[in-house]
Amino acid sequence: MTRKIVIIRNYSFTYEGSQRPAIRDVNLEIEEGEIVVIAGASGSGKSTLLRSLNGLIPHVYKGEYRGEVWVDGMLVKETPTYILATKVGFVFQNPENQIFMFTVERDIAFGLENLGFPRDEMKRRVEWALNLLGLKKLRKRAPHELSDGQKQRVAIAGAIVLKPKLLVLDEPTSLLDPETACDVVSLVKELNKSLGLTVILVEHRLELVASIANRLIVINEGRIVGDGKPERVLSNVNLQKVGLTPPPIVDLQIELRRRGIAIDPVALDVDRFLRELDKVRI
Amino acid sequence: MIKFESVTFIRPNGVIALKDINLEIEKNELVTIVGANGAGKTTLLKHMNGLLKPTKGRVLIDGVDTRKTSVASLSKKIGLVFQNPDHQLFSESVEAEIVFGLKNFGFDEREIKRRTEKILEFFGLKELRDRAPLTLSGGEKKRLCIAAVLAWDPDVLVLDEPTVGQDLQNRLKLYEVINELRRRGKGVIIVSHDIEFLWPLQARTIVMADGKILKDGPAYEVFMDRGLLKAARIRQPQLAELSTKLSLNFPFKGVEDAVERLLRGS
Amino acid sequence: MAYMLAEGLTFRYEDSPIHRRDPRAKLLLSICLFIVALSSNSVIHILIVFALISIPAMIANILKRMAKTLIFSLTFSVFIFVVNFAVGYDVIYSLTLALRFIAIVAAASLFFLTTSPDELEYVMRWMKLPRDFVFAFVTAVRFVPVLLLDLLQILDAQKSRGLEVERGGPVKRIKNLIPILIPLIVNALIRSGELAEAMEARGYGAVKRPTSLYVLSFDKWDVILSSLSVIGSVIFIYLSFLL
Repeated sequence: MTRKIVIIRNYSFTYEGSQRPAIRDVNLEIEEGEIVVIAGASGSGKSTLLRSLNGLIPHVYKGEYRGEVWVDGMLVKETPTYILATKVGFVFQNPENQIFMFTVERDIAFGLENLGFPRDEMKRRVEWALNLLGLKKLRKRAPHELSDGQKQRVAIAGAIVLKPKLLVLDEPTSLLDPETACDVVSLVKELNKSLGLTVILVEHRLELVASIANRLIVINEGRIVGDGKPERVLSNVNLQKVGLTPPPIVDLQIELRRRGIAIDPVALDVDRFLRELDKVRI
Repeated sequence: MIKFESVTFIRPNGVIALKDINLEIEKNELVTIVGANGAGKTTLLKHMNGLLKPTKGRVLIDGVDTRKTSVASLSKKIGLVFQNPDHQLFSESVEAEIVFGLKNFGFDEREIKRRTEKILEFFGLKELRDRAPLTLSGGEKKRLCIAAVLAWDPDVLVLDEPTVGQDLQNRLKLYEVINELRRRGKGVIIVSHDIEFLWPLQARTIVMADGKILKDGPAYEVFMDRGLLKAARIRQPQLAELSTKLSLNFPFKGVEDAVERLLRGS
Repeated sequence: MAYMLAEGLTFRYEDSPIHRRDPRAKLLLSICLFIVALSSNSVIHILIVFALISIPAMIANILKRMAKTLIFSLTFSVFIFVVNFAVGYDVIYSLTLALRFIAIVAAASLFFLTTSPDELEYVMRWMKLPRDFVFAFVTAVRFVPVLLLDLLQILDAQKSRGLEVERGGPVKRIKNLIPILIPLIVNALIRSGELAEAMEARGYGAVKRPTSLYVLSFDKWDVILSSLSVIGSVIFIYLSFLL
């Protein structure tokens, strides 16, 4: 029986000064080791959901908070953010704005220094993170000398060095070109495999994450409108209605289904689609 | 109309960003430019309105050397819309933002009013005219940036990564804008990573890598050439991939096209 | 121009005997040279001080970069010369004051050109300055090149909308700053917001006195450099008073 890393019950949150809840009536459970992709248009509430996991909500962003959010057995509402930082590693969208120090290795150590780790332990962990993320050669480089893809790797290293159970990535690839985005996504999959790290990734270019997600959650106007295996969710949820752009292959299959071809479930990439196609034709 | 003659551009830090570029783009063409980050795409764009001047070679806009004229006068013909709206929005209102460019280019009061009304109408920004640009949503800001540039009616609209972070509605609106501009005989140049957005346009595609033009040809030629895509570090649009794997001579140009042909069993 | 400014403020790592010294030793060296420069009262003295400064500068391979930074201080130094001369001091005296200014800037730049912002942070923490102050300072330095890049991009965007920054009388020029400054400030604010989120997410403020990955420690060369700096300055000042 795998542990539940995230348990959310009847959760709603309205930002201070806002009329409508940013997120409402969310019930969600995530098990250890899952890779969950969350998709939603801007303003749909996905950023709010993510920030509810590491305590930014409600400790930094105040508002009306209802329901419960549990992360690794801790109630977020009653746990200070610095403790949550050891449970939840958070990687933000803009690589530039999450690197503080002047060298890669110092920045990776940032969280450890903040939490008062003893020097020996810090050195061990920094070496470990540099290795894991393939950053050993770049350890003394300054952040502005790095490419965006490299910066994002440094950000990930800085998050996992605290050995969290959960890694949350908020649109980590939207400022990267698609090839680099793929590299980052593969990296995340590797981390999930080798460390057993539970991953929650927000990404709207579904074709990029199709290969790694074992669960897809679609959010619209603060509510979860789809939750399950990606193939199922894409069959059942009208992505266009919720402001998302379906990958062309998905669009194609939905249209074929409408015209009577029984393609089920919906394949996420071309190769899988071709296999489905073979099954349907004689 | 836009002519690059053996253009080489070397940055102040010594990096050669453009290597011997030769390129000709007609006034009313639709051209898309693809390539990995750092390939030189944005550098190329900045040479079109004189923001950057070539280190070697020259760039001619309507026969005029860009080194001999100002960015302002070139921008009147070549309207550049950059990627990040937060780098250009500053006015008290959406309307004022549009008036800014018009004032700079010397239009008179009456013209300014006329053009502002027209462009607000076309982009569906009329209800937002008094809103502060900084309070708009990402999509609205992007629309405003494009509107602000089209207000002075340049011959060519140049867009740098117009679909980043844009939802479906805005992407569709963008197709609409492109079609309208083509209808009016205007040129459109788009730099984008979003190959799924570019594929249905089936436009002339320029592939850049490492400061050079690797290929300049129709979309179906470019995106079906897996070797080229690999060398330039570009992904293949799904419909192109599907067409290649089905060994089609004529690739699927869009979802509709694909559906029809698959149902017919061709 | 903007590139030059950015270059001056962006530390570049070099592997020289001076760069490798403990930052506190480098600080002491600079301070001693600074004091020596300040105490010089004749052109010959100052020229000797320049010679003294150029020795570590040569060892550190930063002569060229130092010269570039000093060009900026030249304008102010000319100003000093002119003002003093105008109020009645003689040429030699005015020249001394002008040159002295350049000398103290050179002494200070010796430290900044050989010390990485990283080391600077360690020195500030060693001096037991408040954590928040050190962090704010360090973040500012870290983001100067980033903000400069923002500025260049904003200039590009506005110039593409017909903004002509070079033209017009003084009033117009100031008005033209608005489309540049507002996006710059807004972007800086947005960045700060994102940085604040990232700080929180990485446990900033968890512990009153955070630990550090590295520790400053003096090796024998640092001791030698520091002793030389102090002894040398004392001798120099003593001799200059004698002669």
